[in-house]
Parts: sequence; structure tokens; C-alpha cells
Amino acid sequence: MEFAIVSTLNGVTYGLLLFMVSAGLTLIFGMMGVLNFAHASFYMLGAYVAYAVSSAFGFLAGLVVAPILVGIVGMLVERFLLPRVHAHGHAHELLLTFGLALIIEELIKLFFGDFPVNYQMPGDLRFSAFTIFGSDYPFYRLFIGGMAVVMFALLWLLLTRTRTGIVVRAAERLPAMAEALGHNIPVVFMAVFGTGAALAGLAGAVAGAFYPTNPNMGIELGVIVFVVVVVGGLGSLKGSLLASLLIGLFSSFAVGLDWSLAGLFGLVGLGDWARAIGGLMTLKLSSVSATIPFALMLLVLLVRPAGLMGERN
Amino acid sequence: MGSMRILALLAVLLALLIAVPPFLDLSWQNALVNVLIASLFALAFNLLAGQAGLLSFGHAAYFGIGAFAALHLMIAVEDGLAFPTPLLPLAGAAAGFLAGLVAGYFATMRSGVYFALVTLAIAELLHSLAPHLAGTFGGEAGISSMRMPWQGIVFGSMLEVYYLTLGWVMLCGLGLWAYTRTPFGRLTLALRDNEQRVLFLGYDAHRAKVVVFAISAMASGVAGSLLAISNETANYSLFATDVSAQVVLQTFVGGSTVFFGPVIGATLFTLFSFLISDLTRSWVFYQGLIFVLVMLFAPTGIGGILYELVRHRRQLDWSRLAWPALQSILGGLLLAGGIVYLTETAAVLFGQDYAMRRSGAAGALPPYELFGIGWEPAGVLTWLLPAVLLLGGGGLLVAGRRQIDGVRGRRSAPAADAAPLGGTP
Repeated sequence: MEFAIVSTLNGVTYGLLLFMVSAGLTLIFGMMGVLNFAHASFYMLGAYVAYAVSSAFGFLAGLVVAPILVGIVGMLVERFLLPRVHAHGHAHELLLTFGLALIIEELIKLFFGDFPVNYQMPGDLRFSAFTIFGSDYPFYRLFIGGMAVVMFALLWLLLTRTRTGIVVRAAERLPAMAEALGHNIPVVFMAVFGTGAALAGLAGAVAGAFYPTNPNMGIELGVIVFVVVVVGGLGSLKGSLLASLLIGLFSSFAVGLDWSLAGLFGLVGLGDWARAIGGLMTLKLSSVSATIPFALMLLVLLVRPAGLMGERN
Repeated sequence: MGSMRILALLAVLLALLIAVPPFLDLSWQNALVNVLIASLFALAFNLLAGQAGLLSFGHAAYFGIGAFAALHLMIAVEDGLAFPTPLLPLAGAAAGFLAGLVAGYFATMRSGVYFALVTLAIAELLHSLAPHLAGTFGGEAGISSMRMPWQGIVFGSMLEVYYLTLGWVMLCGLGLWAYTRTPFGRLTLALRDNEQRVLFLGYDAHRAKVVVFAISAMASGVAGSLLAISNETANYSLFATDVSAQVVLQTFVGGSTVFFGPVIGATLFTLFSFLISDLTRSWVFYQGLIFVLVMLFAPTGIGGILYELVRHRRQLDWSRLAWPALQSILGGLLLAGGIVYLTETAAVLFGQDYAMRRSGAAGALPPYELFGIGWEPAGVLTWLLPAVLLLGGGGLLVAGRRQIDGVRGRRSAPAADAAPLGGTP
């Protein structure tokens, strides 16, 4: 019971963090068809900007400056770099953002060194929210989750309840028609790209203070975020929320379970045979927890290629 | 250029590759082996990316599988199996082909960015699984073996390994080239250009893609097994994202639209990293920068530019182009110098050594040494030099390009004028 509750809590908060990063990615993809490889780099950039700013002006200043700065970087990329390669197709856009991801990572290494930096949450956020089964549960985990929930609510309200949201959704469906109606579509696209990047930057600023902040954090999270977006259905905000929670829970539960395929075969009396084969059969679930998201992604692609909530293929 | 002339060029290149290495020292021979392996890997990758239009971000998987397959066979040979050492890459080819068939079947169910994501996921799956499968991939340490002698050839010296690699790379490279000339090779190009029409012509597009994928994976497997033979060891880091990333960079900088373009990129990058990786820690940054600049300003890559120049060499007015071209090259060099200067300066000033010296100097900024010269961090010359390099180089480059465009009667940078997202211009 203790394991189940703690794992659920950890899984949900991690899932919500994944959602914070993947929300921007899926919005941008749904709207422009650009799969932004540099998106997770924006997450890392956010963490490092917040680290640099907070060491001089305090934690809160970092939390405010990071999304703004990263959002501006995102808008510059959308305005000045992507249009140059757009004529050559989506593959070139993908390659360009891939190169940008490399450059951002290497620049971070250049200025901050190829090792984790000491980016910590402030002391007054470092307390336990409640005590569960005799151990303290850190408040900051709930803080991360809370940020993500607030963000999702705001984004959802913005997209469904405001005039701006209507224009954005129109620009997503029929850009040419929306433009003919007098809306400035390039500006809408730039704003959406900037917002997506800013969200990733905010996620980095919040999560970097809890998880390690190092130059590999972008790549590590980036691949998982792609999995989230594909499993949820590219372009679907609700889908990526569902997939984030699913993967968050999967990975937090898997760490603590020593199930194996041999154990599964043991249920039908084939345990010894499976153990004799070895290899994949005796691998413990806990040791392959990093593998599960990719297996889940392949499964989804086979069974439901559009993703859990995706409408388009 | 006629195919006779291409063949003559290839023959000269081959003669050089055969005749020169015995006179090189060991590290150069080793570097050339790596160049050859990277070239074959890039060619194999480009069969998929450039010709079939399927951008794979996880080709490290098939490269690594080839390496491990060859090593397992090497271990078996060591234990007494009678298998000729020069044919070891066949194991890599077979394993790569089989892995390519399975992975390709799933990956090619989707196209475009989805395809890229599936291939990425497959490679990551292997990368995260491999350290836990001690039997197959030897855990975190990996597996190693020894090259066994065969028919009097000991395979003890790097030169013997080099010739073995050269033979296999030539064989596979020419094989891949010949493949593009077959009807099925033309179908591969058609898949890239218009899959819908391929379907309407009655072909099974999915099956064709799986076959192309498997062939590309097979050649990647050969490249991987050649690496395993040369290193005599391999571990799970062969499946890492950087291996997949490297081949993407090399292929597109070299030029994916020309068959032998990827070889240019692979050769340049491998040689550069061999030559300057001791001098700078920022090599990957330069690689990324070169890649992005190529994507932005020369999407066809170095090979594409060379091909265009050679094709139009008679129509071009060289007497009027020579000066602006020289000016652009000079500007580019100055610009590159400025960027390198700033990058290396940042690497020094933000490095750990300098931080230590600064804390020793009680807050003051001590001078540092770079390119064999001492610099003052707050000196005027320290920052005037890069400013002059960047502005002067940039100015020369822009002016040179404008003149070239004027001579060729072309509008400047047509791609930049295109509507940003497919809307009305």
C-alpha cells in the first residue's frame, strides 16, 4: 500500500512535469507541422537561465526571467530561422531544429561546463508537505505538479474561452482562411511558438531546482517527451496530458517492481523453462524502467497509430 | 560529367587509397580506417534519408547490431570455428539486414516526422536495454575479441585492417551505387518524390520501403562490423544518440542529394575531429554550427554545391566570378576566424582552470593564454579583434555574394522570400 501511494504521487508529479514540456511541443506540431527537436533544449535552457538569474536575484526572479527569455529565443527561431528552410520541406525543418538542439547543448557546456550545476530550490520551499507512512513528502514535488495543473487550466481557458484562442484554433485548422479574414497568421504562429518555448523554459526553471541540472537533461527528457507526444497523439493537448500521466506512473511504478517475463510464465507453470532461456526472460521490470516508454510508443504506433487522443494520422 | 570520367576519378582515388597508407604512421592509418567506416555508414544512411526520403534518427541501432554480430562471430572463431576472418562483416550484414527487416516493417508504417520518431525510439530502446542484457551485449563493459589469423594473414597490423576495411567499403559503396541504377533503385527515388503515384502504379509501397530500410540497415551493419574488427571491442554506447546524430550531420553537410556527397561530409568531419579534437573541446559545437549554416544557406550540402559548379562550369562566366568568389571565401574565413576566436575565448574564460586562477587573483581578471599568445580579458585588443573579424568578414561575404548574384542574374536568396508557413506571400 505504501509503495502504491508513494509511487502514484511521484508518478503523477513527474507526469505533470512531462506534460509541461510536451504541451508546447504538441501545440507547435499541431499548428505548424514542425516537430521541434530543440524543444527539450528550451527546457534545459530554462533551467540554466533560471540558475544564472537566481544566483544573483533570487529564485523567483529566475522563475520569471527564464520563460520570458526562452520564449524570445523561440520566437527568434520561428521568425528568422525556420522560414529559411521551410521551402525545402518538413524534413529540413526537423534537421534545422536538430542542429539547433546540438548548438544549444554545446553552448551550455561552453559557458557552464560539462557537469551538473548547483541549482537549488530556495530554503523556504524546502519543507515537507505532509508525512506519509513515516516519511516526509517534499512540498516541492507538489509545487511542480501544481504549476503544471495551473498551466493546463490557463492554456485550456485561453484556447477555448477567449477570442485569442478562437483565432489560434482557426489558424491551426485553416491558416489561409483565417488569414483571409484579416488575422495576422505569421504573428499568431510566432506567438504560439514563443509560448510553447516559454512553457518549456518555465518547466526547466521549476524542475531544474529539484532534479539535477546538467547539459544532458535536454536530451534525456527530449526523447521521453517525443514518446509522450506520439502516444498522446501529435497535436492533442488532452492526449499529451493523458500520455504524460501514463508514462509518469509507468516509470515510477516500474522502478519498484521486480516482475519479469519469467515470473509471468511462472503463473502458467512455465517459469523454469523461461528462466532457463535467460536474457530478456529474466530481466527485472525495475532494471528496464527506462525502456518502457519506448516499448509503449511502439505498441501505440502498432495498435492505434494516431495516438490515444489524436484525430489526424 | 560523363560516367567514364567519374570512373576515372574513382580509379585515381582508389589507387591513392591503396598506395599511400603504407607510408603513413599508425594514427593516420587508424584515422583513415575511421574515415572509411564513417563513409560507408553515411552512404547507407543516405540510401534511406536522401534517396527514399525517410529520415532515420536511429541508425546507430543497425550500426551497433552489426558490430555486436561481428564480435560474436569473432569470439566463435577464436574458440575454433573455421570461418575466414576477412568475411566477418558478413555477420554484420546478416544481422543488420534482419534487424532492418523487423524495425523497418514497423517504422515504415509511418512516414515523415513519425518515421523519424519511431526510428529514434527503436534506437533508444536498444540503448536502454543493452546494458541489462549481459549475454548478448556484455553489460556496461561490452564484449571484446581478437582478430584471428587466416591463410597466413595475421591481421595484427593496422595496415592489414585498413586494406580489409577498404575492400569492404569499396565493395559496399559501389554496390549501393549500382543499386541506385537498378529499376528498384529508381522506385526508391519515386517513393521519396511521390508515394501516392507509386501506389497508383500498382507497387506495394510499404513492402518496397521495408526492403530499402533493410538494405540500408545491412550496409550500416557492415560498417559497424568493420568498426568492431578494427577496435576488437564494442559496448552499448554504440547505440547512443550521438552515433545516430553524427551520421545525420555528416550526410547532410556532405550533401544528401548527390550519391557520393555523404562521403565528403564523413571524410571532412572524421578527419577534422582526428586533427583538432586535441586542440579544442568545442568541436561538437563547431559541427552543430556548420550543420545549421549548411541547412540555412546551402541545403544541398557541399556535394550539391560542387555538383552544381561542375555541371554549369561552361555556362559560368569565370572571369567575372573569380574576384567576388575569392572575396566571399576570404570573408567566410575571416568570419570563421572570429567565431572560433570568440568560442575559444569563452571556453577559456568560463573554464574551470580560469575560475580557479580568478579566485587566486582575488576578484581581478588575470591574463590568459590562447593560440600561443597572452591576452588581457579587459583589454581593448582582445575584443576589437573579433569585432573586426566578424564585421569585416561579414561585410566581405555579403558584398561578394551580392556580386555573384548580380553576375549570375539571380534574385538574391529566393528561399528567404518564400511565405513563412505556406500562406500567401
